[in-house]
Amino acid sequence: MPSGEVPLFYRRGFRNVLQQAIYVAATAIIAWYVYTSLDLREFGFGFLSEPAGFAVGSQWLTEVDGVTNSRLTMYLVGVWSSIRAVLVAILLSTIVGVVVGVARLSSNFLVSKMAMLFVEIFRNTPLLVQVVLWYAILLVGAPIIQNVVNVGDFFFLSNRGIAIPWPVPSAGLWGVPDWFVGVWVIALIAAALVALRVRASRQERERETGQPHFANRYAFTIFAAAALISFLLLGVVVSIDRPILEGTQYAEGMVIKPEFAALVLGLTAYTGSFIAEIVRGSIQALPRGQTEAANAIGLSGYQRLSLIILPQALRQMIPSVTNQFLNVNKNSSLAYAVLYDDLFRVATVIQNKAGHALEMFFVIIVTYMIISFAISAVMNVLNARVTAHRL
Amino acid sequence: MRLPSLKGRRLFSAMLFAGAALIAGAVIGACTSDEDEQQAQATEQQQQQVMQQQQDQPQAQVSGEPRGDTVQLVKDRGVLKCGVKQTQPLFGFREPDGSVVGFDVDFCQAIAEAMEVDLELVDASDASTRFELLADGEIDVLIRTTTITASRDRELGVDFAQTTFYTGQGFAVHAGSGIESTADMGDKTICVQSGTTTEQNLADHFTDLGLSYTPLGGSDQETQDAFLAGRCDVWTADQSNLASRIGVLDNASEFVILGELISKEPLAPGVRDFDSEFKDVVNWVVHGLIAAEEMGITKANVAAMASNPPNTAVARLLGVSFEGGEVSTLGFDSVGAQFIQRAIAAVGNYGEIYENNVGDAVPRACSLNALASEDKSNCPPGTGGIQYALPYR
Repeated sequence: MPSGEVPLFYRRGFRNVLQQAIYVAATAIIAWYVYTSLDLREFGFGFLSEPAGFAVGSQWLTEVDGVTNSRLTMYLVGVWSSIRAVLVAILLSTIVGVVVGVARLSSNFLVSKMAMLFVEIFRNTPLLVQVVLWYAILLVGAPIIQNVVNVGDFFFLSNRGIAIPWPVPSAGLWGVPDWFVGVWVIALIAAALVALRVRASRQERERETGQPHFANRYAFTIFAAAALISFLLLGVVVSIDRPILEGTQYAEGMVIKPEFAALVLGLTAYTGSFIAEIVRGSIQALPRGQTEAANAIGLSGYQRLSLIILPQALRQMIPSVTNQFLNVNKNSSLAYAVLYDDLFRVATVIQNKAGHALEMFFVIIVTYMIISFAISAVMNVLNARVTAHRL
Repeated sequence: MRLPSLKGRRLFSAMLFAGAALIAGAVIGACTSDEDEQQAQATEQQQQQVMQQQQDQPQAQVSGEPRGDTVQLVKDRGVLKCGVKQTQPLFGFREPDGSVVGFDVDFCQAIAEAMEVDLELVDASDASTRFELLADGEIDVLIRTTTITASRDRELGVDFAQTTFYTGQGFAVHAGSGIESTADMGDKTICVQSGTTTEQNLADHFTDLGLSYTPLGGSDQETQDAFLAGRCDVWTADQSNLASRIGVLDNASEFVILGELISKEPLAPGVRDFDSEFKDVVNWVVHGLIAAEEMGITKANVAAMASNPPNTAVARLLGVSFEGGEVSTLGFDSVGAQFIQRAIAAVGNYGEIYENNVGDAVPRACSLNALASEDKSNCPPGTGGIQYALPYR
């Protein structure tokens, strides 16, 4: 071998070709394997259109019956259950997160240590353990239906769930037609728009003059007044249904079942503890001068927080919080452990009956991705809006 | 992204490898746990899997040649190997002291005594391998809450003897709930094992009734926990399963198992195909124990009955002479004319076996397992016993 000549195996050109060849061959083998095994398994989604043959218990606003409906319909019922749990958990965990995050920075020793305890407990234990524990508490800790806790016929608490009053559209006191409900909803939206407009203009003046204009209070009062007046004018088109106990069943009202409650409690506490840390971090990342300046111009503690600190901190944390919201979506599959009929549980039942595990998992993955993308899209829009309005 | 150094790259590939290993582990874990659950549930799918395996090797399992004479085999060995469950209270359950007891175990005992051999109880708790134990000769007879179905009879190399226990999908409710049948279950919350035929039977049955209900689906254990905690009004599963799970509770009296059944699950002893000599023995031990109850022969009086039989039928069943006449063996020469008498002397008649094991948990009166000859005047319409011994003559 002449000196200076590189051996074939160490030549860059040869290596490139070799790597490409191995890559192509491996891809071809995997593709062939997938293709043949799918062919053997009679890959297809036809099984989803067959009758489901099972019932799904935790439904809300729907009453879909599995004997007459297809497996796909029952799956969509599960998807709706998942989305419901995810939305409620996102809303509650955001509230919990902001409150606990701010509380951790409180100068009050008790408040800040309590907040720290909350964060450390829920952030450092597995979510599955938490969810199962919540379910056990609700199932065994809550009284049985025969010993139901009745709070003035308005709230009922038992291990069948918590029944609360819930608004339902009705024909109204003066026999107004049903479509008045629509009129009322439009009136409410109009009132909300007016209130937002007033709020914005008052905030504008507040910025210009430096005098407090109580934008939020004005906006809320306008909305509440408009809602009340339109409500009375149109007649009672929405009535509040109080829960009733019929034997061992709740009727009317809204029932929060223990399966749903355990899942949402678990997701809320777990995600809330992470969001609390994000909130704390975002606030602490603000220059100290912001707080000092707020103190210097004589703002109260609440004004400092609501006008100076949070508006700046919250917009910084949107990308991190988006991640937490996506985690809520993914972690919602832990519903499986607490018998909540989310999309994963329903899909598992379908799979047990029909086989086709590969197709079913494909559907499950695509569904979770769609929900995640939807959450991301909403959060990106929000992020774009708050960063565009940077002061 | 550019990786910073060789060390970084090594770390990266190590992480990749660890990730792949994790995923592989998770996949294997998922498959295994799924299998476990299916084993516990003995779902249809899994039975099909077993059947598939059997079909793949028809020579091994279902050959036309006689597979040997189990009666001779057992007598030569001096031991009857009986496959029983060790996990189901009342039917086949391992007590803390190590002894295995239950309804099925008593039938094993009866067959062993009838053949004058010792009894060895083999653990056949695993639903997925129970038929293979039989085919492989690990056990001689399988008495393990096994439902007779046509496909098992045809495809698994198993032959079923007389049904020992008739059950079906039943319902448990809380005592004092006022629920007496599925007709009272409208709008109730029902705990049901999800992903099983139980769930489907339930949906079909309520559609037929025109009633709605709220299901709460989960595994066997999860649904039991939820029902016992009062989360559900009703718990549905195989009635014998409900009975055995409720029967062992300290507060069993707080629950009631309804008599109503919405599916057929006849549980019977299984023997190997193509061995009618042995199948006849198992079959007629079961019939003999039922016949003994019909004739009023018990563990306590069998000896007196044998020394002084009241009629020819009793004499024939016990294999003794009636008033000095000939003893009829009915061709059971391989086990001797008195094989049924020995079985009765060991475990009592069918009614005694029932009462000793499951009687407290599943009241026998008016159930399918009562004698067909019972007085049905107090039974709700459409119920009543069907146990009935074929004529022993």
